[in-house]
Amino acid sequence: MNMGLYIVQQGINAVSLGSLYALVAIGLSMVFGILRMTNFAHGDMMMVGAFGTLLINAAGAPFWLAALCGVAVGAAAGVIVERLAYRPVRGAPDVTLLLTSLAVTYILENLGILIFSSSPRNFPIPDIMNSAIQLAGGQITFTAINVVTIALTVAALALLGWFVTRTDVGLGMRAAAEDLGAAQMVGLDVDRLIVVAFAIASAFAGLAGVLWAAQSGIVEPDMGFTPLLKAFVAAIVGGFGSISGALVGGYVLGALEILIVAFLPSSVSPYRDAIVFGLLIVFLLFKPNGLMNRPQEVKL
Amino acid sequence: MIDRRQFIIRGATVAAGAGLASGLGLRTASAADTIKIGAPFNVTGALSSLDAPALNGAKLKVKEINDAGGIGGKKIDLVIYDTKSDPTVIASVASQLLGSDKVPVAMGFTDSDSVLSLGPIFQQAGVPFVTPGATSPKLPSQIGNDIFLACFGDNVQAAAGAQFIKDKLKAKTAYLLRDNSTEYTTLLAKYFEESFTHDGGKVIARNDYKSGDKSFTAQISKLKAMSEKPDVLYISAMPDDIGLIVKQMRQAGVTQPIVGGDGYDTPLLISVGGKAANDTYYSTHAFISEESTPAIDKFYKAYKAAYGTVPENAFAALGYDTAGLIADAIKRAGSEDPAKIRDAIAATKDYPGITGSITYPDGQGVPQKTVTMIGVKDEKLFLAGEVTPSFIPKP
Repeated sequence: MNMGLYIVQQGINAVSLGSLYALVAIGLSMVFGILRMTNFAHGDMMMVGAFGTLLINAAGAPFWLAALCGVAVGAAAGVIVERLAYRPVRGAPDVTLLLTSLAVTYILENLGILIFSSSPRNFPIPDIMNSAIQLAGGQITFTAINVVTIALTVAALALLGWFVTRTDVGLGMRAAAEDLGAAQMVGLDVDRLIVVAFAIASAFAGLAGVLWAAQSGIVEPDMGFTPLLKAFVAAIVGGFGSISGALVGGYVLGALEILIVAFLPSSVSPYRDAIVFGLLIVFLLFKPNGLMNRPQEVKL
Repeated sequence: MIDRRQFIIRGATVAAGAGLASGLGLRTASAADTIKIGAPFNVTGALSSLDAPALNGAKLKVKEINDAGGIGGKKIDLVIYDTKSDPTVIASVASQLLGSDKVPVAMGFTDSDSVLSLGPIFQQAGVPFVTPGATSPKLPSQIGNDIFLACFGDNVQAAAGAQFIKDKLKAKTAYLLRDNSTEYTTLLAKYFEESFTHDGGKVIARNDYKSGDKSFTAQISKLKAMSEKPDVLYISAMPDDIGLIVKQMRQAGVTQPIVGGDGYDTPLLISVGGKAANDTYYSTHAFISEESTPAIDKFYKAYKAAYGTVPENAFAALGYDTAGLIADAIKRAGSEDPAKIRDAIAATKDYPGITGSITYPDGQGVPQKTVTMIGVKDEKLFLAGEVTPSFIPKP
């Protein structure tokens, strides 16, 4: 196989993986940007979205409709969690919010286990999404689901970009992210902005959950855990709280994971995660605020 | 910002603590005139598709024994805990079983890592532990003489897989992909390479991934770019991953047969893999179907009647055999003293299990059993062969 094609193939692999990380990281970063809270339950919205899709699909709805509803269910779950668990403790010390989100994670995961049992289930997707696309005489292959993942990620990002730069609510969200107190003082309805932020962030998680399940073929109650960890890394690399940072971070992480396996000798691949996280530490030593954030004052 | 990062670390510690606390799980009621058998299993988490059937098999056997009058008039009380595929929970459950439940013997797990988390605690207390499905042949030498396997060791199944590849698939070169994050998958891969190269086979390339990965495209692209094509792929994988791996392999146009160990023995192989699972072969403990031996057929029907589903895999049968093996040893020991039960287990000779007869040669903790090879054709399992390997690597 020629080297150029090999690089193209691995590039496609990297973009496809990075898209998933970016989708999860953006939601995580959005909530952090406004509330300065690390939302551990974010990964569970992936689970909610995927299970929602599975159930609605099983009830007879076509897959595309089920997936759309699944994303909506994810968004709704995010809003409900915000209303029931996070709003009552808003304004409390950061650690209270953090622990609350941990508690929500435990509750949601165990609820998932109670309702669906912990064994992984098959996540059926239409055959067309599983079909392989071959280029250059089979030297480059990818599946329809890879294309769908990348396309939906780009579409979702474009929509988000339009929303935060062109609509009043979006601009308000950015103002709230800049300074929540000041936004409130100039008369913005902060409660509403936060609800919108959670709805969007959780819809992104729901979408990521559906795509993740479609790629892996499995749904299980703790399916959000690994992506959440990866999204953390992506968000930190990009600069926590920054939407564009989370996007860049997601693709950087995806590319790193693929490149280490693709271009280093096989004897190195057992150390893939060690290398990725080692690089993260080194990176943070030099750029503690991530790629996209300006240096911040430490508020005590 | 600095404060926030510390909070995250503390949060993680709290999360670990919460996991520990939630280990106190379901358990059956106990009365004074019962014989307790501890039963920690990973009913939830990454290993649930193997552990849950194993526990169901054990419960079925215990019920049969109790319905037939128990052991010497005493009923067996299976003290069940869900250890959640989490080493910290496993360790706390081990202390619980020994400290407050005071079980004289226990059984559990289908993977070597879980036994490594629990075994040393049992060994120190001098209480015997029999695992239905953890296949590392090193366990008894690593932990001690209180640890027994009811199944063959990984060296035996890897050798059987290698022999099957050479004799039946007529393959001479192999590509070896392994999950580097578990004891089971790394040992299986090592034993496979030793057996395969022992008489003439050649492993021409290897690669690694980590359990939980959802994209294997980097490894697959690299495999496809190799100038020399392997005849067969040996993939040492955990149950949650294998369905997805075969799917991504076939989607990328990799057509060689895929062979592996008993980690493949889960319904997920076919439910997730679908058509891609065809031309996959694996070594396991028994072929569980209605067209198998009369003993397995009887078990098959009883399991279906009890749980409303057919046995998911061979681990259900191993759980059934392990409970029977322990009951048999308690009966021969004529006592509930852990040391006497241990000696009785070690002295087990020709126990007629449905997964094969069990004997511990010279009191060693690993029995010698034949290996069943199962294949997938038209999205259905079929019996591809029974193998007694001629060369077996040292544990």
